[in-house]
Amino acid sequence: MGIARPQVISKPLPPLPPAPPRPRRAPRKLGASAVKHLVLITVGAMFALPLAWMLLSSVKSAGQTLTFPVVWWPHPFVWDNYPRVLSSLPFGRFFLNTFLYCAVTIVGVCISSSLVAYGFSRLRWRGRNSLFYVMLMTLLLPFVCTLIPLFILYKHAGWIDSYLPLEVPTFFGSSVFSTFLLRQFFMTIPPSLSDAARVDGANEFYIYSRIILPLSKPAMASVILFQFIYCWNDFLGPLIYINTESKYPLSLGLALILGDYTTNWSWIMAAAAVATVPIVVLFFLTQRTFIQGIAITGQKG
Amino acid sequence: MSALTRRTAISRGPAPWLRRERPRLRGGRRVRIGLLFVSPWVLGFLVFYLYPFFATLYYSFTAFTGVGNPKLTGLANYSELFHDPLFRTALFNTFYYTALEVPLSTVVAIGLALLLNMNVRGRAFYRTLFYIPSIVPVVASSMIFVWIFQPSFGVVNSLLSDAHIQGPAWFFSIAWSKPTFVLLGLWGLGQPMVIYLAALQGVPREMYEVAALEGAGPIQRLRHVTLPMISPVILFNVIMSLVLSIQYFTQAQVIENPAGSPGTSTMFFVIYYYQQAFQDLHLGYASAMAFMLFILVLAVTIGLLKSSSGWVYYENEQQ
Repeated sequence: MGIARPQVISKPLPPLPPAPPRPRRAPRKLGASAVKHLVLITVGAMFALPLAWMLLSSVKSAGQTLTFPVVWWPHPFVWDNYPRVLSSLPFGRFFLNTFLYCAVTIVGVCISSSLVAYGFSRLRWRGRNSLFYVMLMTLLLPFVCTLIPLFILYKHAGWIDSYLPLEVPTFFGSSVFSTFLLRQFFMTIPPSLSDAARVDGANEFYIYSRIILPLSKPAMASVILFQFIYCWNDFLGPLIYINTESKYPLSLGLALILGDYTTNWSWIMAAAAVATVPIVVLFFLTQRTFIQGIAITGQKG
Repeated sequence: MSALTRRTAISRGPAPWLRRERPRLRGGRRVRIGLLFVSPWVLGFLVFYLYPFFATLYYSFTAFTGVGNPKLTGLANYSELFHDPLFRTALFNTFYYTALEVPLSTVVAIGLALLLNMNVRGRAFYRTLFYIPSIVPVVASSMIFVWIFQPSFGVVNSLLSDAHIQGPAWFFSIAWSKPTFVLLGLWGLGQPMVIYLAALQGVPREMYEVAALEGAGPIQRLRHVTLPMISPVILFNVIMSLVLSIQYFTQAQVIENPAGSPGTSTMFFVIYYYQQAFQDLHLGYASAMAFMLFILVLAVTIGLLKSSSGWVYYENEQQ
């Protein structure tokens, strides 16, 4: 999906440059530093407020969410909101559907994007760069420009109300971002490595699978991570193709909660937290992979 | 494959020193092996991009409901579009949102990246804090924003009333709905921010030192060193955020009930497209809209690229 992809492709963090030693500050510099901190703290509070408010609201009683001015600190903490909202809909199913969707597309992306990236980086052939630019241009094509014929095509194939319309394209290099990331990584591997193998009579598929892929584990880890986050967050794709509630992924299940419990804000926020917290925890656990990912995509080539 | 490779080992064609790389593979074979590797994408491109793109173009000249065959109607859909007031509203809303979102998110993302690039304590913490909202699932962030901007019990209006300001109805106000979506967009600008940060870190330190030696103040250094040096990244980010803003859909679809409300103030281009295509089954009409969107994105991108020679600085060209 053209629209959703760049949105959720989580560009990871670049490494910070080594901080130069702090010189002893003149008084004027101290003032400037105070201004910087004031700005950072203010903006930081604005960025943190929505998530903090989500967590606080999720453990308030219904009455505490419906006061004006607002009550800041929950009293008492109503942890019960979580089990109750989770049992109000088949969230177990939603999680399972989401994980399956993630798993299949991760397999698809890993296979097809690495093959395509190999062809776009480790081999030199006429037309390679032109085709590569065509691939990058598809990022600019609005998803609505292909949606109706694809929908009709999938309908004839009997794929509507299944994940196939979202899964099958990933086996055909639909994840331009992953292909680009892997290509950038493959280009950093010295060509002499492949040449040596060619002299020994290895064919290209052998070089791809036995030499390049084993060297590319860090890049593959980034691709897997980004694809997982993309699928976890994807709303538009399932909205278009999935109709039956028992087949919903988490994102569509959440939207149901918003529609069903329009005034029960503690439940709605508990549901939002259930979708958000795992992905934030995953981010903290894998920051290194994120950082490697952007370091790779940032390389010129 | 191994048989193929072995056969090419027999040297043919021009002398080895005339051929620059891969001495054992001739052009035609190299193209074949290259195409073999990229064939998954080529197939995907033909089936999932090229065919449906031209099919959309064809449907846009037809009346089509999805069953039976499309009936050719010439330019009827396009002339109907030009007389459709709701289409004009959708165009206006999309321009409104884009005109606010793209400049604001660019300025704020660069501003935050500049702050983070300075030598301040705790910048790794702030970088993580500013980045995290961009990985929050879009449905969850939409829910959170509906709640904090809730007119009667929301925390934002409560804070405003502490400052003796009567807050608006935000998502549920015709005047404020689009700016509130812009705020939601600004909250998730972590991706362009880290891209700008990476670009800032690529600016050679010596350039600042030279500028400082020549007496340039911080503002002059920003204008004459930093911004020109990161201008290619600005161009990239502006194009991406324009293309995304023009296709704005998901948040508006999740938040507004019915979609497009209050009034028609959040009837964005793709929201209207979605209703025409999937609710009213006006597939021909929706296809014409899709093609108009393509023209729009194309024009905006070409315009930006054309203008870029005036403001984007490429290091290699100048040297």
